[in-house]
Amino acid sequence: MSRAQFARRRLLEFLFPQESDTWLSILRVGVAAQLLVFCFSIRSDWRYLLAASGGLSSRGLAEKILSLESVFVPRLGWFVNLGTQAGLNEQRVLAIVWFALTIAAFLLLIGLFCRTAAITAWLLHLATIKSGDFVAYGVDNFVTIALFYLMLAPLPDRYSVDARWRKFPAQDRHLLGFWRRVLQTHLCLIYFFGGIAKDVGVGWWNGEAVWRALIRPPFNLIPPQTLLHWKILFPAVGVATVILETAYPFLIWQKSTARTWLIGVLTMHIAIGAAMGMYLFALIMIVLNLAAFGPGVLWRQSKVTSNCRSYANTAAP
Amino acid sequence: MSRQKFYVAGYFIHFFLIATVATREFFWVLSQSRTIFSSSLNQTWRKAEEASSVALLQDPHTPSGLRQATATYLHLAGIESGYGFFAPNITGQCKLVFELHYPDGRTESAVPAVSSDASGLRVATLLDKIGWSKYDALREPIIKMFTQAAWREHRDATMIRAVLGMVVLPTIDEYENGIGSSNEFLYSYEYKFEPAAPKP
Repeated sequence: MSRAQFARRRLLEFLFPQESDTWLSILRVGVAAQLLVFCFSIRSDWRYLLAASGGLSSRGLAEKILSLESVFVPRLGWFVNLGTQAGLNEQRVLAIVWFALTIAAFLLLIGLFCRTAAITAWLLHLATIKSGDFVAYGVDNFVTIALFYLMLAPLPDRYSVDARWRKFPAQDRHLLGFWRRVLQTHLCLIYFFGGIAKDVGVGWWNGEAVWRALIRPPFNLIPPQTLLHWKILFPAVGVATVILETAYPFLIWQKSTARTWLIGVLTMHIAIGAAMGMYLFALIMIVLNLAAFGPGVLWRQSKVTSNCRSYANTAAP
Repeated sequence: MSRQKFYVAGYFIHFFLIATVATREFFWVLSQSRTIFSSSLNQTWRKAEEASSVALLQDPHTPSGLRQATATYLHLAGIESGYGFFAPNITGQCKLVFELHYPDGRTESAVPAVSSDASGLRVATLLDKIGWSKYDALREPIIKMFTQAAWREHRDATMIRAVLGMVVLPTIDEYENGIGSSNEFLYSYEYKFEPAAPKP
């Protein structure tokens, strides 16, 4: 076997491993829960944040700026225009979008009409955050990423209502493996770039960044006086954060370190959620990590069901 | 092209885009912030950032169709921005305060009001974006939007001064020596309103 053939075979083995769909179930349920929390957490301010008239009225400007980049990115303006033609005002259309997104998230949660629900949720969530770009932050991007992979991945998974009630056939196990690799690779890049950006800041090495993160409004849930009791730990926490993130793409794949690293990263996100009130951010990162690396690292991977189909026979050893 | 080759090609293109976007943002961070590198390198980082934009087909010389197609994909996949959260340093938080002036000479203070912590975090994010933005053309209309929203809650006010400031955070040593957060003035805008008509 030539070197090129060997490299090709190794690449295909890496990209198309045989996988069960447990990771996909975690991703589907986790993202659906995240969407439901998102919808209900900003329900009362939905119109204030997203209307073009009344409230903050930032939608028009956000959509104009978005159009400078691309006119093809979904936005609430499309739905509002459609609604206007049907005689619905903006307020009514925004309410319908909220309701449709909530329903899509609920269907995704139970796994009924998985694919349609995933595409609908992705479209409506994307339109919402693009029109509300001024009030969007990192967590929204992570939800878009998760929904993007979810709608492309081989749904339904075996724990979904679709699989149990509507008797969908089992999915291609190599394709399940491919999409899990995509999610895993993406997480590695997220942490690596997040880590090296912190590496170059002095504050993360001497603990000052940890102190500032915890006293900075609106993340200042813990009184500074209480934090002072723990100040000796700040440098260690800062350095641990930098190392956890930067080394993630290297150590999460090693059998000997994967478990420790995954638990470390999950602990970091739980701590961020609890200490800084960033519940949505913590939830989506925990979901992404559990889906990407949980099965097989934190618990034994369930056996691939025998009735799974496979097309990628070239990837098999 | 077989289905498998299609997936492999898609994988590499997708991750090339993610890595390039993240690299571009990293270079931007290096060129703008106080880092462990000398500020004499800032020009180099700026050039590297521009090179990343060229690789992403996002520079002005790229044909519009190609630029839009790439930008569309980046947005659809949620990969249009990098991952340098809370990095390299943690800045102070921007804060917006309204000074409401009434016809009878009264003045009141108010801040943008939302109903939940989740929405509050989003408004705080927006204030940071406009506070740190160098573009007044972007900042001014957004402050105006906030001010109009505040006026709808206080329709008797005839003039609202919107003051954007920054909360300067103390270091650990400063805090232990009794120095707390302080406010630093950034921008101020004044808007006049017609008094609301009396209710029938």
